[in-house]
Amino acid sequence: MSYKKLLKQYTPEELAESFVFPVKLTPKQQKEADRELAEARQKSQAAMTDEQRLYAGLLQLRFQLEDYLKGDQYDPALTFGYFLDRYLQLNHKKKKEFAKEIQIHETLLSHLISNRREPNDSIMIRLELHSNNIIPAIDWYKLAEKEKEYHIRTDNSLREKESPFVTHSLQLTF
Amino acid sequence: MIITEVSGKKAILVIVQRVETPDFKGITKKQFFFRWDQLKDEADIYKLTFTDSPAILGLVGLIDIPAEYRIEIKLLAVSKENMGSGKRYEGIAGCLIAYTAREALKKYGGLAAVSLKPKTEIRQHYINKYGMKPAGQQVYLDGQELFDLINTYEI
Repeated sequence: MSYKKLLKQYTPEELAESFVFPVKLTPKQQKEADRELAEARQKSQAAMTDEQRLYAGLLQLRFQLEDYLKGDQYDPALTFGYFLDRYLQLNHKKKKEFAKEIQIHETLLSHLISNRREPNDSIMIRLELHSNNIIPAIDWYKLAEKEKEYHIRTDNSLREKESPFVTHSLQLTF
Repeated sequence: MIITEVSGKKAILVIVQRVETPDFKGITKKQFFFRWDQLKDEADIYKLTFTDSPAILGLVGLIDIPAEYRIEIKLLAVSKENMGSGKRYEGIAGCLIAYTAREALKKYGGLAAVSLKPKTEIRQHYINKYGMKPAGQQVYLDGQELFDLINTYEI
């Protein structure tokens, strides 16, 4: 059904709630449309507050984290420490200052960022509270779990190390 | 992400996923108004479905423009039974636009924008309904309006 026919059958409001129609522009019109949009966006960008920029950055981090958690792939670069470090950078916080804000020792924070320590539940809850609930604790938890799951599945040296402690194993063959 | 059942005002969870090649078999012009398969080389096409059913409620075709930190909505349509006064579910188009806002924010953070080229007669309704801002022949979302849409549709 063409746009004109739809306009006879539905109100403009109903159409805007159901469609974005294809609009063809000539190269000249397209160039002008791009110029108009760039000009308007430049003004919008200039009017954005620091608070809005921080909020946008936090949403960006949350959505990237959520999509990583949803996917099946494990990426050794995308650790708890990596996302935590990005969170600090977004907030323009030095480690010392941030550690004070969530009441943990600066050394512990450094160890979390460098993935030398695993986060406990309290830290994940404190991160959620610090972000004003923008990044939920459950996302931090799932991130830590994803790493743990990968290591449990693939750590052969740990299997070798633990092997002497298992003195008897089930001898089942099918 | 939620849509609302018009009759009972019940909120229903939905998801947006990329349209895969086999999906095009079930996407007819009769139900979705356009030949969506013809758009697949030009745009990334996404579908909105219930979380527990493959039935498609709406489609959106997006063009990513990294050089401008924006995503353009090239085409959007809800299914035929979900348009006009007799529709079953409310908020399908809003969810698809909000999903686009999410993708733009995920890629471009504070620089993100979503734009579309509206038909003249319905241009003002995009502004009223979704908080879009006028920019000559196009309308767009960025900053606070992107956040508002994401929060409205509980992305």
